[in-house]
Amino acid sequence: MTLALEIKNLVKTFGGLTATDNLNFDIKEGRSVGLIGPNGAGKTTVFSQIMGELQQTSGQISLFGTDLGTLPTSKRIRLGVSRTYQIPRPFLELSVVENIRVGLMPNSIWSMIIKGPDHTKEEKLALEVGLAETDFEKPASELSMGDLRKLELARTIATGAKVLLLDEVFAGLTTGEIAQISSLIQDLRAKGFTLLIVSHDLPALEPLIDHVIAIERGRIIATGNFKDVVNDESVRASYLGQAT
Amino acid sequence: MGLRWYHFTAWGLFAIGLALLPEIVSKGTLRTFIFANYLVIFAISWDLLSGRTGYISFGHPFLIGIGAYTSAILTKRFGIDVELAIPIAVIVTMIGGLIVLLPALRIRGSYFALVTLAFMELMYQLVQVIRPDLTGGTRGMSGIQTLTRGAVNGFYFSSFLMFVIAISSWFLLRTRIGTALTAIGLNESAVEGSGLSVTKLKMFAFMASAFVAGLGGAFYVHYLGSLAPRALFDINFVFTIIVAVLIGGASTIIGPIIGALFLTFLLEYLRPYLPGAERYFIYGGIALLLYMYQPKGIYALITSGWQMLQEKSVK
Amino acid sequence: MLQILIQGMLLSGLYALIAVGFTLIFSIGRILNLGYGAYLMLGGYIYFWASQSIGLPKLVAVGMAMIFGVLMGIMKFQLIVKPLKGNHVAIEISTLILAVVLQAGVVFVFGDSSKILLPIVNGVVYVADAPVTYNMLIATVSSWVILLSLYTFIRTTDIGRAMQAVSMDTKGAAICGIEPDRVNMVTWALSGGLGALGGVFFASYTQLAPSMWVGPLIISVAVVIVGGIGSIIGTLIVAHIVGFMEVIVVSVFAPELRGVFTMGLIILVLVLRPQGLFGREEL
Repeated sequence: MTLALEIKNLVKTFGGLTATDNLNFDIKEGRSVGLIGPNGAGKTTVFSQIMGELQQTSGQISLFGTDLGTLPTSKRIRLGVSRTYQIPRPFLELSVVENIRVGLMPNSIWSMIIKGPDHTKEEKLALEVGLAETDFEKPASELSMGDLRKLELARTIATGAKVLLLDEVFAGLTTGEIAQISSLIQDLRAKGFTLLIVSHDLPALEPLIDHVIAIERGRIIATGNFKDVVNDESVRASYLGQAT
Repeated sequence: MGLRWYHFTAWGLFAIGLALLPEIVSKGTLRTFIFANYLVIFAISWDLLSGRTGYISFGHPFLIGIGAYTSAILTKRFGIDVELAIPIAVIVTMIGGLIVLLPALRIRGSYFALVTLAFMELMYQLVQVIRPDLTGGTRGMSGIQTLTRGAVNGFYFSSFLMFVIAISSWFLLRTRIGTALTAIGLNESAVEGSGLSVTKLKMFAFMASAFVAGLGGAFYVHYLGSLAPRALFDINFVFTIIVAVLIGGASTIIGPIIGALFLTFLLEYLRPYLPGAERYFIYGGIALLLYMYQPKGIYALITSGWQMLQEKSVK
Repeated sequence: MLQILIQGMLLSGLYALIAVGFTLIFSIGRILNLGYGAYLMLGGYIYFWASQSIGLPKLVAVGMAMIFGVLMGIMKFQLIVKPLKGNHVAIEISTLILAVVLQAGVVFVFGDSSKILLPIVNGVVYVADAPVTYNMLIATVSSWVILLSLYTFIRTTDIGRAMQAVSMDTKGAAICGIEPDRVNMVTWALSGGLGALGGVFFASYTQLAPSMWVGPLIISVAVVIVGGIGSIIGTLIVAHIVGFMEVIVVSVFAPELRGVFTMGLIILVLVLRPQGLFGREEL
């Protein structure tokens, strides 16, 4: 199996603060990995560095063997990695299908102008993530949190990326919505997407992942299968706030 | 693109209306229409840059002025044919558009608006000082070659130009690029996060706007036959352009057309009662009230009315 | 050399006075009041009307101009800023439109031609062969006095501290029981009064014309942007940079280039260092 994502000696410092401290891990293609850790452990910072929203201080991030270097976010997405946000970032005044349309667009001005939108593909994606047909023409500002997360997933998948970074996908959702998003993620796994999932909701996370990485203060403190990591001494300690 | 029969009908009626107008109205009114046409062009140019992306330009005459000055200098000082001077002027204006783009890569909102205002004022001062032998200094230039003679010709010519620019911009913004530009105005980082290069999109919007501004500026100067820096790089001119777009309805292209026509005729209608600059008092007052209470403009009023009619006819 | 020094000090003092009202608004709500120049224009015209048309004592006329400015500030806040609820671009566009409307109103009442304002204080003093009008001297001195008292006002009084709090964190201030609306209104009123006063001096330095609001607006913008967000000390420093550079450019290069430096400075600072030369400080 090839490596979808490979992170080597990743370091990010903000002034005197080390947010990512010599991080090393990789994800094989088609695998689903959980990234856990207490608040402020540096999970989102890792996402931002993979996407190029933050530039790492040192170290290397490779996607399917290509070094991402200092590429801008849009180029990284074209290489096959995309992310969602803890707080969804929809285009509030655009309709649901238009939001997905932006994700489906090729990065070429010329083709944006001469080719019309692919309505069937847009609607298929919207239905796939579980949005209702009656919502298609609604502006995103009228959606519930659960639907916003679905919409953001749809737009992320629409970019054609095969490696998805999902940030706190269950935050702010009702139990019913958690179940929906959960089965959606299972579908993605079945389709061969490579996933890196951040969540505080450990019971909801467990069935979605092959193994888990626990970090604290930007450092890996445990890695392996879910049960072992969660029962690890240092992981328990870090969640209880007794940092070692 | 979501084109409907009534879109074609509306554009068709608009074209027919323009074609028949000289038969209906007096020569004086026709001259007003010529100014309205050029105002429409400038308003569309502003709308292309600012209407969707949210990068508000307070210095649009900077671009218009580059087009006007380049073409005027080339024809008058260097004896270059107008047919060649205007395309060159448009290209130079597009380079000017790149200059406006530079700050937009780093700053947005109020700060961007201020830089554009500073660009305009800088241009105003520089034009008077640097090579006044070419630019005519403070007095500007006169005796610039004109392209048309008489009100009727001038009207048809400007109407044709305006119509072509309006309908192509309208088509352009109905494609996916229009959606992408709207998305930039709503959430720039999410556009980048959808795999689209924000820089490329902004560059396209700024280039398209500069293209229209250059075209409009160059043809305008060859209609007037003269140009004066104080009238061109003037905050009142900025005000007229922005107000035309806003009260018509920004980001729609149709809005600026409605707004520019409305404003020109408001001014014209007020002329007998208020001969001088006092007209701006009423004009600005109306604009301010409309903008505060109907920020989406007249176009939004019309479309919502049209939708209500359609819903009724369905029932 | 001495000439440049004196002229520079005088002009800079005037610019600081003009810019400080604009700075106040910007520091409180991050709002660029593009209609700020209208206070100056109206202040100048009210003073002209009261002192030269009606013949009231000059000090009374200055007072009337300031009161008018205060009222304008309050009205602007109540009728434009509050209804638009923090939509910055809409406020900026609306205030700009308002300035043009007011300019037209001034033309309506006073006519299009520019007017010469009699100096507030007559007399000239010669410092090393350089003529210094008492008028400019008074403007500079009042500018310093006003800036210093404003600084103490903000540092020591309750309402001043409330303004500081709102400028740092509006929501936080609201939670602590400060009414942001009230503080904002006081700030807008203060800004209007200061603007009108600046206008009286500015008009007596140049002349009274309906379009006189644009120049001071650009100077204020330059001072605020270059000085960093709304710091009074930054305002003072940058007013001196701008004032001195103008005097130097005019006397060494060419009078027509006067504004080029200011524009260039705005563009350079905004593009290269959007946080301003002196960073962000509270008031």
